[in-house]
Amino acid sequence: MTTELSHYLEVIRDNLRIDLSEEKEVISELETHIEDRLQELKEAGLSEEKATETCLGLLGSAKLIARQIYEAHSQGNWRQALLASMPHLLFATLFALNWWHHIGWLSLVLVLVISTAIYGWWHGKPTWVFPWLGYSLIPVAAVGLLLPHLREGWLLLTIPLYFPLALWWLFCIVVQTTRRDWLFCCLMLLPIPIIAGWFLTVAPDGRITEYSMQRLYYFAPWIGLSFLILALTIAAFIRLRQRWLRIALLIISGLLTLTMVAYYAGGRLSLTTFGGLILVMWGLFLIPPLLERWIRRSGRFKCSASYRPPVQMAN
Amino acid sequence: MGQRQELIKGSSDSLLLCLIGQQPMYGYQIIKELERRSQGYFKFKEGTLYPALHRLEKAGLMVGKWHTLTNGRPRRYYHITAKGSSRLVTEKVQWQDFLKAMNLIFQPASR
Repeated sequence: MTTELSHYLEVIRDNLRIDLSEEKEVISELETHIEDRLQELKEAGLSEEKATETCLGLLGSAKLIARQIYEAHSQGNWRQALLASMPHLLFATLFALNWWHHIGWLSLVLVLVISTAIYGWWHGKPTWVFPWLGYSLIPVAAVGLLLPHLREGWLLLTIPLYFPLALWWLFCIVVQTTRRDWLFCCLMLLPIPIIAGWFLTVAPDGRITEYSMQRLYYFAPWIGLSFLILALTIAAFIRLRQRWLRIALLIISGLLTLTMVAYYAGGRLSLTTFGGLILVMWGLFLIPPLLERWIRRSGRFKCSASYRPPVQMAN
Repeated sequence: MGQRQELIKGSSDSLLLCLIGQQPMYGYQIIKELERRSQGYFKFKEGTLYPALHRLEKAGLMVGKWHTLTNGRPRRYYHITAKGSSRLVTEKVQWQDFLKAMNLIFQPASR
């Protein structure tokens, strides 16, 4: 296969952003099409170079094909939409009914979140798994929040261990998710600024006290509402086909929910903190695409489970 | 030419369902068959055929299966499903009604 045709298929593959198994099928199918067309053109007397040029002309824009195939594959059904929005709905229920302080319910939800995230991760990383994956980071964050409550000696021991491990874990998940599609990384991390906003509202000094628990009890219905908005956003995201609409939905919903947090916080969230959270939100939408570009250009992080071999064509 | 492309675009799903409904085919074969049967009228931009096929497959109207040709090369054949056959019947009726109505306008003498 000529370099131009290999490059053409690589461009399609880079822009497909669909399940790995489906991606392989699409590329193989296009390969066979190119094979047939090239053979016919060569039999008609065209040189290799001319046949390649004609073949590419007949196929059309690689990016357009990739986009149209993405749109054919991207839309999930209502069952998938419900499954994807389920973790947000579970947390919305926990707060709306004020069950968050029952250790039993909280543990049950966390076990469900972690086991579903692990199941989805090892079963082809379908679109619905990414919201679950985001919530599976909660135990890691919770450990970090409990650290200041340790005795000083223990604190000095655990902090140098916790931060590198937690950051490494986050980095691995973000990189692996970005390799699948940077938009899923945004989907996964979307609740972070919102949860951080509520946390800073109930515990402005970053410490969980009896008083902050009382505040949490007071704000619980509004926290539940923000999770419900996230659930609706995810359901709509799964049902949308067009990529630009999905991006716009996440940005608008993220910013509106964050504004809602600030509104209901009733002045407990300072303007500087709110500005910082808006910046974090923008970072969530800017860093994943940049990371994806860096990963693709550098060819890093190609682990054996998801390594994509270069396209080869039989003559 | 642009108008013809619009007509093809609007009828591509029906054309593909009709062709696959007659016998399972793979992408390149579909393009050649459409061109041959329409005497060159229906010329797909080749790359756009696959998004259309995948869209119909996702809608459950056809299903793609890999088969190996006699020369040992694998090809992805599209087979029509029961849902696709049912849709095809509906679309055929709609097209026939449409063509009949068009003829009544374009050839009033034939009434």
